[in-house]
Amino acid sequence: MSGTERIVIEGIGVVGGFGCGISDLSRALNGSVAPPGTLNVSTGSGPIEIPAFRADTSPLKEFVPARTLRRIDHFSRLALLGGNLALADAGLAETEHHRLGVIIASGYGASGATYAFLRSFINDGDICASPTYFANSVHNSAAAHISIQLGSMGPNLTVTHFHLSVPSALATARLWLAEERVQRVLFGAVDELSDLIGYIRYRTRDAAPDAPMTPLRTEMETSIPAEGAAFLLLTRESAARGGYCALDASTTGSLPISGHPIPEPGLLVLGADGCRESGRRYAAVAQNSRIACYTPLYGSMPAGPAFDVAAGALILKGGRVFPSPGDAFRDFPATVPVGGEPVGTDRISCLTLAGDGAYGLTTLGNFPGTTGECAKEERIAAGVSRMDPE
Amino acid sequence: MSVAPIPITGMGCICAAGRNLSDSMEALLRGERHPAPPVRFASDHPVPHPVFEAVDFEEPPDLLRTSAFALHAAREAVADAGLDRKILGSLRVGVCVGTTVGAVISEETFCRGYLAGGVPDMAPIHRILRSNPADVIARAFDLSGPRQTVVTACSSGTDAVGIAGSWIRAGLCDAAIAGGADELGRITYNGFISLMITDDSPCKPFDKHRKGLNLGEGAAMLVLASERVLRRRGTRARSFLLGYGSAGDAYHLTAPRPDGAGLRSAISEALATSGVSSASVAFVNAHGTGTPDNDRVESRVLHDMLPGIPFLSTKGYTGHTLGAAGAIEAVFTAACLEMGKIPANAGFETPDPEIGINPVMEATTVSGTVALSESLAFGGNNSVVALGKA
Repeated sequence: MSGTERIVIEGIGVVGGFGCGISDLSRALNGSVAPPGTLNVSTGSGPIEIPAFRADTSPLKEFVPARTLRRIDHFSRLALLGGNLALADAGLAETEHHRLGVIIASGYGASGATYAFLRSFINDGDICASPTYFANSVHNSAAAHISIQLGSMGPNLTVTHFHLSVPSALATARLWLAEERVQRVLFGAVDELSDLIGYIRYRTRDAAPDAPMTPLRTEMETSIPAEGAAFLLLTRESAARGGYCALDASTTGSLPISGHPIPEPGLLVLGADGCRESGRRYAAVAQNSRIACYTPLYGSMPAGPAFDVAAGALILKGGRVFPSPGDAFRDFPATVPVGGEPVGTDRISCLTLAGDGAYGLTTLGNFPGTTGECAKEERIAAGVSRMDPE
Repeated sequence: MSVAPIPITGMGCICAAGRNLSDSMEALLRGERHPAPPVRFASDHPVPHPVFEAVDFEEPPDLLRTSAFALHAAREAVADAGLDRKILGSLRVGVCVGTTVGAVISEETFCRGYLAGGVPDMAPIHRILRSNPADVIARAFDLSGPRQTVVTACSSGTDAVGIAGSWIRAGLCDAAIAGGADELGRITYNGFISLMITDDSPCKPFDKHRKGLNLGEGAAMLVLASERVLRRRGTRARSFLLGYGSAGDAYHLTAPRPDGAGLRSAISEALATSGVSSASVAFVNAHGTGTPDNDRVESRVLHDMLPGIPFLSTKGYTGHTLGAAGAIEAVFTAACLEMGKIPANAGFETPDPEIGINPVMEATTVSGTVALSESLAFGGNNSVVALGKA
């Protein structure tokens, strides 16, 4: 990293199956877990309902006029809501939107608009292809809607790298700030549960039991599909007006043959999301570490690692670990902090494992002036010094 | 604000103009182009719109055509850089690829089957899920560095090159394979026709009678490496990535901002990061799609910011290759700097009084050591790379 300043998370905006905003996410993290809703999936043998975490974008009307929303699809609405919540959380004035950089990470992009576009010419012929659906199906449509609505003329980027989208895009957000290309980056991860994604999940994954996700159980599928958006307003430490914590590193790569990239000491937040094959990989990497996992609160989606980062930021801000829900870690050989336990570390790493040995790792650190007094006192008591940023 | 130049040690390309960079450049300088109605897919549009399908190449059946293009170009670039598996294995090498199609969960046959209420074969979806272009290249060369797939529409290839340069400057990797790839298909063909921005005759960038773009396909990859790697290996750069800039329009999903403010910012940033003045630019490889709006805005900006500097669009030889365009045009730009010659702007015959400036009409000798390559994207992102002669 060429810059010497740390990068700070100034604001967080989240929407998902748990609700809308950091207060709803905090409630869920503290144990008030909302059960999943359902997704209707048309199958070859008739329609079925599967459990799914759905997100409600109706609060968006507080930020964007209803008239404007008419031509904006669900995917971009999720992004607009998450983005506006993060800006409101940070208290960023409208006059500061102009040179915001915007980075969106999405595993599957605007799959609903893409399918609707395909439907338009499959049903009615090539000549009837819908220009509106096509425009909204372009992968960077959410980033475009955000920049248009906010009047942001900074650089604008969208990354789609399936489950590595979040750590990969966060790495670029850090670079933009370190290079002083922009004063602030509005980073967001978003995925929607469209008909098409629901059907693909139905066909590619075993049905999960009607029970909460248990991400590290390797013998069965427990993932519950989800949609949502998690946004972070990022800035350099010299410009930060409070916030949550520092975003000290984010990287992607291939796991080396021996060992793993997890920094010690710290708390490891696992992105394990109930998919049977990835549960096995997480279990292999996370053994004997101090771990937490919150995916049962927001479900399984490629944007999930951004929710892990949001949870990590709230832990560092408050100084106490949230309980990992359910019996996610039953019989698992690791240290799992109970809810309310002091965080006891300056560093939290969020780990994402993808197929073919690829990984993403995002590291958060305490940052003076942003983290809770509780955390500070505990660090002093524990004799833990602040770890150097990357 | 200027940054360290990043050596480019290898380049590769496949498109309608040729199976590799050298063949493509020879075709461009001969003024050859072969737009024709699509052969690889059928359409029931009453008037066929010409496209630039890539020349035949060895296409692995288990990969998306987009990723096969990416891999083909990467192999040429890696060989051109004199790298082999042993050397690559001793370095931390990243992969950054721009695309529009290569990360989209959509496949027409599958969607037709789903829409008809059948049980469609999942093979096309599995092919998509294992074909993320950056992952395909990382797997093929067993690379351990960062990975990113950029989907910022038509500026993706330019952004990928710029981001990879930042990775090396920041020390995130020793070298990177960066570029863009995209395939032609009915989805993009129908989409662009639905927006009424395609020409039903061969495209005519910057011409008074231009009616729109012709789509194309292909890929280009560059090998970027740190100076330290070059010193260690005792090799020389082929050319340099001097600078990069990008900025949003905050205006419209599919139309450029009329005053070109985003493009102006991107050019200014590319020049500033390069540490060169506009007067030292030898030529500009413009985005030049042949759509009335793009060429009007782009030429206005060139007239104001880079007056008298020769410019051309190479899309008259390749078609608009979308996510690959920025990378294909970057390698053409670097190759032209090496040769001291630029091809004619194919398709231009009649000056447009509204534009007021004309692209080069014949292959032209250029002197100077710096050139710009521009990309304008749906969603309003504008990206520019500055390339330097070794």
